[in-house]
Amino acid sequence: MFEKVVIANRGEIALRVARACRELGIKSVALYSTCDAESAVVKFADEAVHVGPPHPGKSYLHIPNVIGAALKTGADALHPGYGFLSEDPFFAEICANNGITFIGPEPEVMEKVGDKAIARDLMQKAGLPLLPGTIEPVGTVDEAHEIASSIGYPLIIKAVAGGGGRGMNVVRRAEDLARLYQTTRATAQAVFKDSAVYIERYLDAPRHTEIQLVCDRHGNGVYFFERDCSVQRRHQKLIEEAPSIHLSDEQRRDIGERAVKGALSVGYTGAGTMEFLLDHNGNLSFMEMNARIQVEHPVSEMITSVDLIQEQIRVAAGEPLSVTQDDVKLRGHAIECRVNAEDPDRDFAPAAGRLDVYVPPGGPWTRVDSHCYPGWSIAPFYDSLIAKLIVWAPTRPEAIERIDRALSEFQIEGRGVKTTIPFHRRVLADARFRSGDVSTDFVEQFMAGEPAKAA
Amino acid sequence: MSEHHTPHNSPDREMIESVWAEARDLVRRLEGSTVQRFAVAAGEYKIEIERGAPAPVAPLPGANDAAGALPSGQPVAAGAGPGLTVGPGARMASGVFTLEQAVDTRIPVLAPLVGTFYSAAQPGAKSFVEVGDSVEAGQTVCIVEAMKMMNEVVAGEAGKVAELAVANGDWVEFEQVLMYLEPAEA
Repeated sequence: MFEKVVIANRGEIALRVARACRELGIKSVALYSTCDAESAVVKFADEAVHVGPPHPGKSYLHIPNVIGAALKTGADALHPGYGFLSEDPFFAEICANNGITFIGPEPEVMEKVGDKAIARDLMQKAGLPLLPGTIEPVGTVDEAHEIASSIGYPLIIKAVAGGGGRGMNVVRRAEDLARLYQTTRATAQAVFKDSAVYIERYLDAPRHTEIQLVCDRHGNGVYFFERDCSVQRRHQKLIEEAPSIHLSDEQRRDIGERAVKGALSVGYTGAGTMEFLLDHNGNLSFMEMNARIQVEHPVSEMITSVDLIQEQIRVAAGEPLSVTQDDVKLRGHAIECRVNAEDPDRDFAPAAGRLDVYVPPGGPWTRVDSHCYPGWSIAPFYDSLIAKLIVWAPTRPEAIERIDRALSEFQIEGRGVKTTIPFHRRVLADARFRSGDVSTDFVEQFMAGEPAKAA
Repeated sequence: MSEHHTPHNSPDREMIESVWAEARDLVRRLEGSTVQRFAVAAGEYKIEIERGAPAPVAPLPGANDAAGALPSGQPVAAGAGPGLTVGPGARMASGVFTLEQAVDTRIPVLAPLVGTFYSAAQPGAKSFVEVGDSVEAGQTVCIVEAMKMMNEVVAGEAGKVAELAVANGDWVEFEQVLMYLEPAEA
């Protein structure tokens, strides 16, 4: 097991990792930029190193400074969190070259999984269902037309190197295909430096369903069931749940097994998530794999009672998974609300600042993953996440009541600070949300249906 | 005579330090004037400052056991600046203030990144600077190396190297103090 882990991240996830290290008896090193000098993880971790000014490019993303800090403190492993350098194969390689175990997959595996076209090809070979479409990148407009005639409209053109909702265009009519094909290729080149695109059938209003898995270095892989993350705005998740009420036990076992098989087939190690779209006929289609721990991992922890960050650390240290598939039982229902410093009445504009009042909720099965405290200032350089509020209850309706109760107790105030708490509570009260019939078009429709706000 | 020994970071300490900051600032501003003596007071704290020959404050008889040293650190005048002595003044009694941190008008040179500090361009070569050297603004004073990349660190303004804060080969973090310069206008 590792002696010392450097946490190359900030905010709530850095604290999350530091807590897991403390429970495992591992020394933790927090890296911080100047404006994070008083952050929760800096206070909690065993050591801390100042790695740069506030701008992430000069601090959290500054590879020499991050590696320098790891070497300076004599750390034997590094946890990259999510975002930042967590899916950078070049960085993972540099860690390895410097004798630091990167807590995540091997660089070559990360690179394969990060290439959408390669990942789709590999996963299809492993038996995962895909939407009708291309595996190979589409080289010409003529090819695009050929593909369109076989798979039908609507379809979507996606950059191979894209992600996070960027670099994609939906085509509904054949007359738009040529134009949008050219546009997508040009954008892909400009933004991702890679003009390769692929085409697949487009589903209107699917449900975003993802499978959590962890693989160790001994050929074992376990799935921790699925999450439904359909409540999104502009491809940013707002509310996540586990499990999805739209999958039967049979479906979830089948897709879980396929997901693990697919991950093991590419030599994947560590925690990862396979993203699928679930259509209204109950068909799942593989979209992409995320080779890192995700923001919403707590909901999977709550329904399985497994600490996924500890599992990540264990498998990176060469230990086998602490559970077998048979050990992992799905119990109850968990919901997470991402409380952001954004003003829902002003199109979710950032509304950060110093928190004068910060009183998180408590109570049964009520979990708050946050780095905030009274007096903490949310800086403009990073994301606007204040806290993840997660609850568990035996059933989905009870979980909804519980998280609404918890949100009602959550006090966050500061000059100019606005949060998404009122928005979450309105969503939780919504009949469509309560019915569970939620797809990726939910937020847009919900907001369109809301009474207009006074200017 | 009583001695006043404040615990680190108590509110008293903050008061004392802010009174000192006022006093230092006045000292600078009164340089070249004919003012011989002044006092700064706030609440229960008062500092009296009188022009005189540079000399460290002699410890008051009976103030402590150790010869020549006050219990909580440096003699006050070591930080108060050249040419000043400090008259007695203390909370409701006479005595001598001591502060653990000396007042510092020196310019720190900070590490611009995380890495290894080197005082010379190559092993065995002459150091860029030694204590006592005068440097110009923009002059290279040392190197911080990170992952085989040598980054020259330059003086932000003209001055004289007063103290090296790290040793050749030490690991440094971002904005760690590498050395102190005395500002050019003494």
